Amino acid sequence: MFDNNVFLQGTCKNVSEGGKVIGFEMQTNITYYRAIPLSMMEYVHVSVDGEAVPDEDIRVSLDQNDWFTQKEAETVTTYKWEYGDPLYIRVLKDGGLSKGSHQVKLTVAVRTAYIPVPLEGTKEREVVID
Amino acid sequence: MSRIKAGVSLYSLQDQYLTKKMTLEDIIHYVKECGAEGIEILPDQMLKGAPDLTDEQVADWHRMLKETGLQPVIADVFLNTNLYKNRTLTHRECIDLLIKEIKQANRLGIHLIRLVSMVPYWVIEPLLPYCEKYDVTIAIEVHAGMAFDVKATNDFINEVKRLKTPYAGIVIDTGIFCRKFPRVVKNYELNNGASPEMFDYCDKLLDQGTDLHAVIRQNGGKLPEDFVATWKTHEDEIFGPLCDGYENYPYEVMDDLMPYIKHFHFKMFEMTDEGPEYSIDFKGLLQYLHDHNYDGYVCTEYEGNRFTLPGHPTVEREQVARNVKYVQACLKEIQG
Repeated sequence: MFDNNVFLQGTCKNVSEGGKVIGFEMQTNITYYRAIPLSMMEYVHVSVDGEAVPDEDIRVSLDQNDWFTQKEAETVTTYKWEYGDPLYIRVLKDGGLSKGSHQVKLTVAVRTAYIPVPLEGTKEREVVID
Repeated sequence: MSRIKAGVSLYSLQDQYLTKKMTLEDIIHYVKECGAEGIEILPDQMLKGAPDLTDEQVADWHRMLKETGLQPVIADVFLNTNLYKNRTLTHRECIDLLIKEIKQANRLGIHLIRLVSMVPYWVIEPLLPYCEKYDVTIAIEVHAGMAFDVKATNDFINEVKRLKTPYAGIVIDTGIFCRKFPRVVKNYELNNGASPEMFDYCDKLLDQGTDLHAVIRQNGGKLPEDFVATWKTHEDEIFGPLCDGYENYPYEVMDDLMPYIKHFHFKMFEMTDEGPEYSIDFKGLLQYLHDHNYDGYVCTEYEGNRFTLPGHPTVEREQVARNVKYVQACLKEIQG
């Protein structure tokens, strides 16, 4: 139902630190119609060309300054994932995505206040790395 | 004498906000242009940092209201009982969160809070001193799928009755008055691969004056076998169990509840070219409310945006304008 909110177009790119490509990054809107504290993010999964990325290699951030593992994000109640603001998702992978075309799939789920199952959304995009 | 007023829930224009086609300011001005008298807001949706708003945000809110003359009718509030993954909030934590929401409503000049369905009844009594101090009433939402046959909803209503306070009540969502299965939902699901027979089944029940939710209840909480027999695809298995979210109560279900009803969500899926909403007879409902001396707002809550077919633009703006126009025309006819 919220698939259209997932994986903002044109946001997937490799990310460098200290002259080295440390992984790749993408952005997504929330799979809900309101803001919630980041602790209510249930999970984020990423797969590349059909292969799942290990969840422990994923980092998330609301401000591109503080980055959290998913386990750490469970305790982040001070900051909210606002409706209309993206969540930044980084996958740590030496060298990032290789040159060429990739199918990158992003799945995001959040807990709501009153629906017993988390609200999940998925989108797959073709990403071209120059 | 009833005095029913038309408002708009800003929820109706959520996709405009999410995709940055409209700001909160644009939306408020647009709602005014549509002819609404009041607005309903989800602070968690369009006020960043809620409920810890800055003085600047609050001043800006009051400026927009002053510019438009719109009444800030109601704030839709949620209770994040599952804030943490490993445990549910304690009673005290729940109440502390809701006290913050009451204070926020007061700062925004709002005197009514909609508590989302399933908020437990035991929050009411400890909150009453705050409701009185800040002049904010709390009201539970009665929503299709979580309405009068659900224990949490009934417990809340019974507690409202027991406490005999003007500061607690209920909000009715018109999704409980579906006379036909929403066509936009059906078309969206057909496009996802669902089978038409599944929706024919639901429509047949609605035609007979009942609904799938009621039939499931009569069947001991299980989906009826002949309904499951209509399923052919994977999408049927996913969406089939969700088909019970469109209920078909008679208006008379409100006869004894009118003293406690503080507000209406005019949930709507599709204003048709011919005029009325496809599934819900708002004119009939407004006549009932007039006849029962309802004095309050009915706020347009457009839900069809969620069922926009892929590749099509959302029609939130047009649908909201049409609904407000229709409601105002009905009110003129009924109230004079």
